[in-house]
Amino acid sequence: MRQPVPPMTVSLAAIIFAAGAVAGGLGIVLGLGGGIFLVPFLTLVLGFPVKSAAAISLTTVIATSSAAAAAHAGSHQMNLRLGMLLEVATAAGSLLGGITAQVVAESTVQRIFGVVAILVAAVMLARVNRRNIISDPDADPGRLGDRFHDVDSGHVVTYRVKRLPLALFASFVAGNLSSLLGIGGGVIKVPVLNAWCGVPLRAAAATSAMMIGVTATSGAIIYYGRGNLPPLAAAPAVLGVQFGSWAGLQLAERVSAKWLKLLMAAILVIVGALMFVRSLR
Amino acid sequence: MKPDDRGLTGLELAIGRVLRLGVGASSVLLAAGLLLTLAHDDVGFAPAVLRAAIIILLATPAGRVVISVAEYAREGDWLFAALTSIVLVTLAGSVAVAFWGGS
Repeated sequence: MRQPVPPMTVSLAAIIFAAGAVAGGLGIVLGLGGGIFLVPFLTLVLGFPVKSAAAISLTTVIATSSAAAAAHAGSHQMNLRLGMLLEVATAAGSLLGGITAQVVAESTVQRIFGVVAILVAAVMLARVNRRNIISDPDADPGRLGDRFHDVDSGHVVTYRVKRLPLALFASFVAGNLSSLLGIGGGVIKVPVLNAWCGVPLRAAAATSAMMIGVTATSGAIIYYGRGNLPPLAAAPAVLGVQFGSWAGLQLAERVSAKWLKLLMAAILVIVGALMFVRSLR
Repeated sequence: MKPDDRGLTGLELAIGRVLRLGVGASSVLLAAGLLLTLAHDDVGFAPAVLRAAIIILLATPAGRVVISVAEYAREGDWLFAALTSIVLVTLAGSVAVAFWGGS
């Protein structure tokens, strides 16, 4: 019943590298980890066990997140204080998710993945035209809010963080699903921070990217210690993601957020449906 | 602007450096390990290279948290030093579950 990790060959390494590059590029451009694309590819197309796919994906998520956070450093899009606060919740959720992943069946994980992907797509579509910015640049951002130069509008953007308990709860859930599904969790945090907590999309994405490294590490350590992480398959994936992230960074500032959300939602619906169907077999 | 803006930007840049260094080092080792394996390395140290690469990668975000704890403590921002310490303890919890926990 439990399928083995496919043996590594030059062509498999090349395919995984390419998949990582696409996932990494999309991840950076969308402000997400990219794992939501890589896990279904590794399981549905290449036949990896879900736990190994999740573990591989988490290592690439660490690399993507770290590269994104390093690139954002100094730009003030990252809200460090908010990120560090939410990290407490996301790390706890991640630890719990890592433990859960060791005890639940693979098909259950796939089903949850399918449902989560489609729910996230629905949220994105519902909020596609929302912007959460205070146009007065001198407004008081409060204790957790921030201000930064927004490349979309060309103005300095100021925002306040609203509904902090919701942001903490979303971070906990994101951490939990991150470990369980091998995704960064940005796919949950970014829409929630953007739609309900008043954080502009680019600040939400940058802050989430910073947090995701810690979230993914917590889960990846558990998979690694339990023997679910094949380093030989993780290598081309991480390298591919690095390349894709670099390419994505060249595009990120030139692509419109609205079209990104629409593209993202369409891909997620397809991926979610495929994962769900696969779990029923 | 907030009075702590300069310190925070300094922390941001330090974080950026740690992340770049960790990911860079682990990527080089991952590439080396992968190439050695695909080239049918007979010496047999490819697994060790890959293991080192994975461990460095996993340690990178943890290193970022350690720096944050130190920086917040240095600035006397005890609330955030405490919050980031909790994150560090949680990561230690993952290590415990990974290597010593029951199955």
